[in-house]
Amino acid sequence: MRNTTLLAHAIALTTLVSSGSVYGQRAAAAAEPALTPRLADGTVDLGGDGIWDQPWITDFGRQLVGDTEIPFLPWTKAMYDYNKSNAVAYDPQGFCLPPGGPRMFGTPYPSEFIQDRNRIVVIFEGGAHVWREIHMDGRPLPKREDLNPTYFGYSVGRWEGDTLVVEATGFNEKTWLNFNGTMHTDELTTVERISRPNRDTLHYEATITDPGAYSKPWTIAWDIPWLEGAELAEYICQENNKFLLELKDEFGNPFFEDVPTDKP
Amino acid sequence: MQRTFTALLVAAMTALVAQPTAAHHSFAAEFDANSPIELTGTVTKVEWANPHTFFYIDVTTPKGDVEAWALEMGSPNGLMRRGWTRDSMKIGDVVTVTGSRAKNGTTLGNARSVTLSTGKRLFAGSSEENAESN
Repeated sequence: MRNTTLLAHAIALTTLVSSGSVYGQRAAAAAEPALTPRLADGTVDLGGDGIWDQPWITDFGRQLVGDTEIPFLPWTKAMYDYNKSNAVAYDPQGFCLPPGGPRMFGTPYPSEFIQDRNRIVVIFEGGAHVWREIHMDGRPLPKREDLNPTYFGYSVGRWEGDTLVVEATGFNEKTWLNFNGTMHTDELTTVERISRPNRDTLHYEATITDPGAYSKPWTIAWDIPWLEGAELAEYICQENNKFLLELKDEFGNPFFEDVPTDKP
Repeated sequence: MQRTFTALLVAAMTALVAQPTAAHHSFAAEFDANSPIELTGTVTKVEWANPHTFFYIDVTTPKGDVEAWALEMGSPNGLMRRGWTRDSMKIGDVVTVTGSRAKNGTTLGNARSVTLSTGKRLFAGSSEENAESN
């Protein structure tokens, strides 16, 4: 009887774990999670001997905090529907361009936080092989108009207790906010709240404010599990992007001409 | 005894954890999840590269024709985490592939798993959702 119950639990747990779910991993990792690691001065340590196993977040609409729907404007709703109609074929990330914004934390592969004296640098294996700098020296967030628009924007951060609060602005319009074709404009600003309630969990929350694209601010959140003992690998997306070389627009015109590939 | 067994079980299952695969491009834009394929063929080429590793196999049809297939897998960093090395498949190996066919109906597929000539079956780092549920 005990063995049958144990077997039943083992099967359930294996199914959970091998499905790649966050909960399965956490269940398998420890019955009781290890405490939040801290630096010598008591600041939460976002690093350690491991990496953050970023999940693939395909739909911000499933990660909403406080709302039941993304507050689309008519044009962003129309773009969302259009992108869905072609199975998001024209996602800039398919061109090996970095996602930027909150999407970066919802894009595989794993990441690490490097906490330096006056800055935090997040290095991402995915997206690909990119980094993002968060200024922690107390400087104010610059005005968007004074910034050169970039993929990752300009970020300043501060600790509020055990939560890292990051404000970012100055985003360009060359990225999609989310994998499933949710758009944004260069009016986008984000406030991210990052905490590590225990060693194995990074809680990520982002409030998106973009009056050019959405009727009000909206907030998304997810947890990112820790992989103790693991290391980042290298992923250089630009190397051999056959999908891109053969990509055609909606009129059947290829983006790149006369490119020989081995695909049939 | 029970504790040791449980500890071993937890350790084994942690090792099975499948990390997410980057969908650098949309699976659905190119492949048809409703068009499953299972092929056995001889490896003619392996391109161990980002963002997708490709390998090519010659498949002999029941009629005796030889079809050249191209199979897309995940990127090397994802494959390494699933037990692959760049030498796991060599030219001349006979392998079996499960996956999904290209929407355009050509002999192009997205690989979900590969059974190597050693008999070992590895997941291919596919960006199809639920690619590793069995």
